[in-house]
Amino acid sequence: MNSDAPVAVEERLFSLVLALVSTEIGLTKAEILGAVQGYRQKFVPGGDNSSLERQFERDKDDIRELGVPLETLESPTDPGNNQALRYRIAKGDYDLPSDITFTPEETTLLNLAAMVWREGSLSGESRRALLKLRSLGTEGSKQLIGYAPRIRTRDAAFAPLTDALDRGVLVRFSYLKPGEQNARERTVAPTAVVQHQGRWYLQAIDQKADAPRTFLLSRIVGPVVATRAATPRPASPTAGDDALAELDQIWRTHVARVSVRPGTDAESRLGKRRGSIRHPDGTISLHYTDLALLADDLAAFGPEAVVISPPTLVDAVRERLLAVVASHSDAVDAV
Amino acid sequence: MSADQTTSGGFHHAQDKLTFLLSLVPYLIQQTQVSVHDAARHFGVSEETIREAVLLIAVSGVPGSDSNYQHGDLFDIDWDAFDQNEIIITQLVAIDDSPRFSAREASALIAGLQYLQSLPENVDSAAYSSLAAKLARGASETPSQVIVSPAATNESFARVGDALSRGVQLEFDYRDSRGQSERRRVDPLRLDSDNDDWYLRAWCHSRRSVRTFRLDRIDALHVTDLAIDHRPSDVHLSDSLFDTSGEHTTVVLEFRPEALGLLGEFVPEGTRVTRSGDMSRASVRVAHFHGLTRLVAGLAGVARVVDPPEARQAARRWALDALASYPDATSSETTSSETTIANA
Repeated sequence: MNSDAPVAVEERLFSLVLALVSTEIGLTKAEILGAVQGYRQKFVPGGDNSSLERQFERDKDDIRELGVPLETLESPTDPGNNQALRYRIAKGDYDLPSDITFTPEETTLLNLAAMVWREGSLSGESRRALLKLRSLGTEGSKQLIGYAPRIRTRDAAFAPLTDALDRGVLVRFSYLKPGEQNARERTVAPTAVVQHQGRWYLQAIDQKADAPRTFLLSRIVGPVVATRAATPRPASPTAGDDALAELDQIWRTHVARVSVRPGTDAESRLGKRRGSIRHPDGTISLHYTDLALLADDLAAFGPEAVVISPPTLVDAVRERLLAVVASHSDAVDAV
Repeated sequence: MSADQTTSGGFHHAQDKLTFLLSLVPYLIQQTQVSVHDAARHFGVSEETIREAVLLIAVSGVPGSDSNYQHGDLFDIDWDAFDQNEIIITQLVAIDDSPRFSAREASALIAGLQYLQSLPENVDSAAYSSLAAKLARGASETPSQVIVSPAATNESFARVGDALSRGVQLEFDYRDSRGQSERRRVDPLRLDSDNDDWYLRAWCHSRRSVRTFRLDRIDALHVTDLAIDHRPSDVHLSDSLFDTSGEHTTVVLEFRPEALGLLGEFVPEGTRVTRSGDMSRASVRVAHFHGLTRLVAGLAGVARVVDPPEARQAARRWALDALASYPDATSSETTSSETTIANA
């Protein structure tokens, strides 16, 4: 092979995976840098290879991120010596278990499940999951054509929070509760990220209160900072389902009554919300999870929807409408 | 649809390219012999992408005992067959099976399945659970907890889905955001969702063009026996639900930077967003002020219309009309016991 020609990144990564899968005892960093395609071309025997070593560190992270179990083994005779560490990929942990296969119907469903994430922070993961799925050779069946479902992850906090969840570390962020003037900083151990009725929530253990809390992602202000501290205890395997069940429970027990103008968009759409009841007098009962979010939705309908109860919702909607008037009134058009 | 994700240009990220190589190898081995054309179709990539990947695989392998790559330590292919656009791997090295899913990949698929559970013709919950369990077992680490409640569907949904699968026309009353209701006859093309909202993409016979209908604005739905005139395969549908490029009225919106996502289709991808102090600004096109007024009324304190004055006035008028329905403000602005999430 021509050692002068530049080696593409994917060729270097592919060669590294092949080399580490085929070794039983593992390879040391020096062995890898000196021999594996893509590194060996830049390796200087006995010289300074620090930038190549950093390259190798990044490559390891990239490969692990794909779900490839790249192991680090301490030398039994020389523990603690970084240079004596060995790297390998155990084939049994790399291979998809042979009894895992998918029928054409399941393949179709998984294709659609991946398509749901076609934009936003999980699009790369779903694209790569699809490639692995296709490696099994099964073609999807033809059902479910005509659906283009999509989950949006519009909240900037989604990516850093799911990332912290995967890595099991504490995060810090500022959270603005409705009705409060200033955001407060929270340090929490994430246990699940859940979507309920179109909104993203974080379920986490608040470190100060040492108790579970639910946060709405859209109320996180500014950046989410991942700390280096590991979460004190592993998340309960049912944390996400528990959070959803709790949100459902809140939704069931909270009901607002709204009067809608006949023949309006509010009448069509509020009447078709999940669980809403139209009464003979033209009012509608609506379930809700979060009063402030419902107040936003109802304020948008303007004069088409008037809140009857609860009184706190009446106040919240009025407050919003007054704010809209204020933010759209100024000297310029007050002629 | 899914093939759109990997267009003829191939993959952009090194991690995607590596995943493709690690996925292509076991596929080629399992197929024994496959044409470049069929492999490209199966993976939803161009034939050129397949050819390049096969050429790379054919010269890859493991370094031998003397740290050099020897012929016997490399993959090899039947080169004569490859000239005829057929792929046959004649020697394999190190890997022969599909790679496991990463924890994040598995959790993305599992969450996607949860969301799809409410679709018609979908698997029952037992089949879903077994599929989710299979994905978890096929992941290199425990999938993280990203949980999505099933997409909300209303009564129209199943009937629209039925019309879609049978290729028949639909009739319904459609009430637009201004409250004007009109009977429409359409050829259904596709059901799109955006989190909890569903949209019917259809060729509208009365408008003689493709239109997007919110499912919760559809009433008096009737599934006809008339075959559709326009098939989904004949009509190109973009991924964005609304095309605002043809609208003539330009308005300037001001909003908190983190609220950009809440503006949704009003600020299409690629819109120039500028900073003005702590706030962001964007010029967007709208057909009329009506939808815009609703948007800003639902984002009090987060977004507002800056320009033109008529649009600002429309927003103010909308809020004032609504306030007129409430008895005068005797109750002071209480913020006491709102039911809100994160009662920490």
